[in-house]
Amino acid sequence: MISTIKRFFNTFLLIELLKGLAVTGRHLFARKITIQYPDERTPQSPRFRGLHAQRRYANGEERCIACKLCEAVCPAMAITIESAQRADGTRRTTRYDIDLTKCIFCGFCEEACPVDAIVETRIFEYHGERRGDLYYTKAMLLAVGDQYEAQIAADRAADAKYR
Amino acid sequence: MSAPYTGPKVCLWTLDHANPASLETYVANGGYSALKKILAEKTPAAEIIEQVKISALRGRGGAGFPTGLKWSFMPRNYEGDKYIVCNSDEGEPGTFKDRDIIEFNPHQLIEGMVIAGYTLGAKAGYNYIHGEIFELYESWEKALEEARSAGYLGNNICGSGWAFDVHAHQGYGAYVCGEETALLESIEGKKGQPRFKPPFPASFGLYGKPTTINNTETLASIPWIMRNGGQAFLDLGKPNNGGTKIFSISGHVNKPGNYEIPMGTPFADLLVMAGGVRDGHTLKAVIPGGSSAPVLPAEIIMACTLDYDSIAKAGSMFGSGAVIVMDETVCMVKALERLSYFYYEESCGQCTPCREGTGWMYRVVHRIEHGEGRPEDLDLLMSVGNNIAGRTICALGEAAVGPVQSFIKHFRQEFEYHIEHKRCMVGA
Amino acid sequence: MPLITIDDQQIEIAAGSTVMDAARAAGIYIPHFCYHKKLSIAASCRMCLIEVEKAPKPLPACATPVTDGMVVRSYSAKAVEAQKGVMEFLLINHPLDCPICDQGGECQLQDIAVGYGGVASRYAEAKRVVKEKDLGPLVATDMTRCIHCSRCVRFGQEIAGIMELGMPGRGEHTEVMPFLEHHVSSELSGNVIDLCPVGALTSKPFRFSARSWEMARRKGISPHDGLGSNLALQVKDNRVMRVTPVDNEAINECWLADRDRFSYQALNSAERLTRPMVKDGGRWVEVDWPKAMAFAAGALKVIRDTHGASAIGFIASPHQTVEELYLFQKLARALGCENIDSRIDRVDFSGRRDGVEWLGMAVTDLNKLDRVLLVASTVRKEQPLIAQRLRQAVKKGAQVNVVHCADDDLLCSVANKLIARPSDLVNILAQVAKAVGADIDGLSDVVVSDAARAMAASLKSGEKKAVLLGAVAQQHPAASELHVLAQAIAKATGATLGFLVDSANAVGAGVVGCRPRQGGLNAAAMFVAPKKAYVILGAEPELDAADSAVAHQALAGAELVIALSPFKTAGADYAQVMLPVAAYAETAGSYVNMEGRLQSWCAAIPPQGEARTAWKVLRVLGNQFGLAGFDQDSAEQVLAEALPEGEATVRARLNNEIADVTVAHLNAAAGIERLGDTAVYQLDAYSRRAPALQVTVDGQVGHAAMACGALIARLGLSEDKPVKVRQSDAEVVFKLMRDDRLPDNVVRLAGGLAAAVQLGPRFGPISLEKM
Repeated sequence: MISTIKRFFNTFLLIELLKGLAVTGRHLFARKITIQYPDERTPQSPRFRGLHAQRRYANGEERCIACKLCEAVCPAMAITIESAQRADGTRRTTRYDIDLTKCIFCGFCEEACPVDAIVETRIFEYHGERRGDLYYTKAMLLAVGDQYEAQIAADRAADAKYR
Repeated sequence: MSAPYTGPKVCLWTLDHANPASLETYVANGGYSALKKILAEKTPAAEIIEQVKISALRGRGGAGFPTGLKWSFMPRNYEGDKYIVCNSDEGEPGTFKDRDIIEFNPHQLIEGMVIAGYTLGAKAGYNYIHGEIFELYESWEKALEEARSAGYLGNNICGSGWAFDVHAHQGYGAYVCGEETALLESIEGKKGQPRFKPPFPASFGLYGKPTTINNTETLASIPWIMRNGGQAFLDLGKPNNGGTKIFSISGHVNKPGNYEIPMGTPFADLLVMAGGVRDGHTLKAVIPGGSSAPVLPAEIIMACTLDYDSIAKAGSMFGSGAVIVMDETVCMVKALERLSYFYYEESCGQCTPCREGTGWMYRVVHRIEHGEGRPEDLDLLMSVGNNIAGRTICALGEAAVGPVQSFIKHFRQEFEYHIEHKRCMVGA
Repeated sequence: MPLITIDDQQIEIAAGSTVMDAARAAGIYIPHFCYHKKLSIAASCRMCLIEVEKAPKPLPACATPVTDGMVVRSYSAKAVEAQKGVMEFLLINHPLDCPICDQGGECQLQDIAVGYGGVASRYAEAKRVVKEKDLGPLVATDMTRCIHCSRCVRFGQEIAGIMELGMPGRGEHTEVMPFLEHHVSSELSGNVIDLCPVGALTSKPFRFSARSWEMARRKGISPHDGLGSNLALQVKDNRVMRVTPVDNEAINECWLADRDRFSYQALNSAERLTRPMVKDGGRWVEVDWPKAMAFAAGALKVIRDTHGASAIGFIASPHQTVEELYLFQKLARALGCENIDSRIDRVDFSGRRDGVEWLGMAVTDLNKLDRVLLVASTVRKEQPLIAQRLRQAVKKGAQVNVVHCADDDLLCSVANKLIARPSDLVNILAQVAKAVGADIDGLSDVVVSDAARAMAASLKSGEKKAVLLGAVAQQHPAASELHVLAQAIAKATGATLGFLVDSANAVGAGVVGCRPRQGGLNAAAMFVAPKKAYVILGAEPELDAADSAVAHQALAGAELVIALSPFKTAGADYAQVMLPVAAYAETAGSYVNMEGRLQSWCAAIPPQGEARTAWKVLRVLGNQFGLAGFDQDSAEQVLAEALPEGEATVRARLNNEIADVTVAHLNAAAGIERLGDTAVYQLDAYSRRAPALQVTVDGQVGHAAMACGALIARLGLSEDKPVKVRQSDAEVVFKLMRDDRLPDNVVRLAGGLAAAVQLGPRFGPISLEKM
């Protein structure tokens, strides 16, 4: 009996509606969590694992020594390396490809690298219009590295004390 | 303190005569009589070995192995050649006794080698002479020639029809060639590297034949024993430490040099004979048996008598009887740096612990000496030493570790001061 | 036999064994570096220190002899502590450059460091750096990585027979180096790459090209000498990256000759033929397989129909597989042709032979020989691993006697030798035969020299003996006479007669019938009386043939030459059709080695380009002619047809006996003559195309004319300068080198050289003229 009367009042006094509006109202004035991408961006950790890059030393020499540890550790088998002796006698890659359509961005390659040559950058906005576009070659990876070296170096430095 | 020793000397007695090295002096004083007697009477080898055993003659080169026992290891009925090798490769820093025997009493050594050759049935003897005493090589060759023309060497020794000859071999100064098997390799014309034992030289020695290797002083003592009997030799010293022994005393004493005195003489007496610690200074430490023997601080060594057992009890080695005396002006870190550099330079490089470890120890000590020591270095040195000792092919590993560990054990404070203050405690 | 306990496991082992032997027998691994089962004991790395009950110090397992009742602990706290101590010492001066080290992933130091190394180094001082050494074109060095195990040094002394590496210096300054800036030029030098437990000695041709974990190891058999060494072909992306040995105590033990190890380079050569080609108006045109096959079969049919089947010659290389050679002869015979042969480098086919020539014993029996007579063999270059076995026999007291045309250094002591010019070879062997009292006619005029008598005395003593005929004896113009003399010597002395078979499947070729029967012509005859058409399988007759000039002329003059080859340079100037066939690693097949052992393998990689396995090409050719019996589906089927009982079929056909030969060539010819033995790296199409082998000392020397100093002086020539070599109206310029091991009036100019094709026969008159 009582519950019937309660429901009657609730219905006619629009209590449920007001309750709902209160939630709306609270969120209307609360601090917004939606990010207006691409005008706004979420913060990124220095450890962010985005597009790969190949780095060089300050003198312009490529870091990669073709040890193939990244290739061996890659769980998706996305990395293909061929190596040979360069004219100066050093061990270098003649081919270093990463198939980004296979890559799962686990970061193992970065971890395995003894010379910090292959790194994952903060870049995640890249695309390919054809499937082959996401097959990154050595030249492309070096170009990414050259362009973002300052950021890459700063990120490594920031993370260094935790390694 | 007792008076200086005036009793009989076994090896360097010729120095009391004019023209000590000559055959005349030696023969005039009973030289070669033991050999003649043995050859005339055809004394059985077992009897000679028995006398040597009674004499308690122990290897004078450093290890102190009983000579009679070593001789008894030679196979008796081996068909084929056998060899005697005299080890005159005195490379141990602080030792300079064998050179004096070769210089002043070569014929006693020759007689000793011939008797040993007779006893052990050897075909020939080799004397391996250290590379840095070349003039002695020449005088030794002269003595051999003298003996040969007098019939003490050659195809018909003393008319007995028995043939034996002794050859000289020039070393080139490598310390490791004083190790008996490295010495054999060197005589064979190979790189002087110790062999792995077993097989021991008594079964597989020079050119793969049974070989006995004895120190110069050991072999030079044999004629005296054969002339006077093993018991007389034993009576010169003390039980288990027969005979007199040449001590090469060097360092901060007034009269450094060779002193031949009975085994078991108190160290204090030797120090007095050597004129005491140089004036105005006090004794700090003594290395009693050549550079590879552990160092002993003054208070310990002053309580020791000079024989195998007493020194071993004190925690060091009687070694070759090379006594290095250091007074209070010596920086123990600097001294150790010098010693460890020696072993680093002289390691033959064959086996890993010695090749890599001696360099490691030297570099750490060098760093401490140059004010770049770290607190953990001393424990590191002890640990590296433990990893070398007992794991190498020959004894050079232990020899290199001995100084390092004993210096740190007895003078740790001084090392710690060096590390902390980056300078020397001595003279500070 | 002493009973010892290792790690609670009891094992009984022969007296005189070491603890390491016992541990290996018990399947217990004791870490080690300097120990190697085939080398002497150094006991210098100290990694194998173990705890022995009642011994005060840890002892090296490799050098401690077992005693009855010994109790050994290889993994006790004391043993492990000692091993860890040694590991630390090994690592302090070893560079941390594993990422760029070719040994990475297959490195003993790396592996053992995982078990016994520390997490971090306590060594904070400067590390040792060692100056690089140049060991020649095959072995790359990174001497800073050396851990002084001395395996390479002992290998040279004990196995290769020549100490090319030494360890001068003392203590930390000890370095492994060659003598006085010499290279390492032994024909077995590549083995130091396998022996080196670290990356100090690595393969130069392979350098930095792949990682050990990327490559699949597939079994293969060496296609060169008659030994049939077992290979592990290491394959990445369908490409053979390098070759290592597979242990086989009966054949190659754990070694490989450099030829076996580095000839894989030919597989990846730019000279590979990858598409069928047909000559059209003098130009080569690539065509597809159906067209090529139709052309080949059609052209061959025309020749057969117009001139008869006997106008065709079938020539196969003895380095082809049993399956290929079987189908090859089957095709020829099905077409009605008996002109089939694989003995391209032979001239003397006289006498009656009842079977296929072979070693006459097992390869392992060579180690047990007491007396050996080597007839005309530079065994060290012809059969590097056979030479190694003879060397071990000599160490155990065997006497090697040599009858040869050159006093080549065999790197083992030789008891007696007789060296004479090629034309005098029959005479000197006849002297030995007479001296041993051999039962053979025609030796009444032979004057026996003292050396021959000494040799006879040597051969008459001893228990196990062999008379071995080398390559020169087989290629010699009087080969049958040498054969019959050797047979007589063997009979008179109770020795086994054997042939050092110089090609991988020469025995197999004979067994499957790659020989002319009644009415057929042998290889030499097919060129002397040129045929209208030739079908050539894998061979390069203009290089391999006994008379290269005649062979080349015959091929160039033929109406049709069909070349089945992996290489486009083979036959390019005289063939009309070139059919690309698979190389040795690309086909399943079998070889029969010199001891009659049948070894089969599967293809390690697919054939390059459009090349097809040769047995399939031959089968399809058979189909083109509509012949019966060309319907096999697999190499196994072909093999089953060729050798129905397998090895038993082979054995039934082996026989070294010869009859109906008269010894006649007992007088040496006048004047200068050629010694045209095959250069070590010109043996076959593969070794010729391995660049690394060609730049070695052996490879270079093979390209020069050599004579002794006396001859050079008498002719007024100068050594190391070019010289005109004239033979059978042809003239070619070669570098003249001095080799005082040659007898007077002999010019050694290897057979099988492209530059020497016009000169003609491998033996015979030759002259040198100043430029």
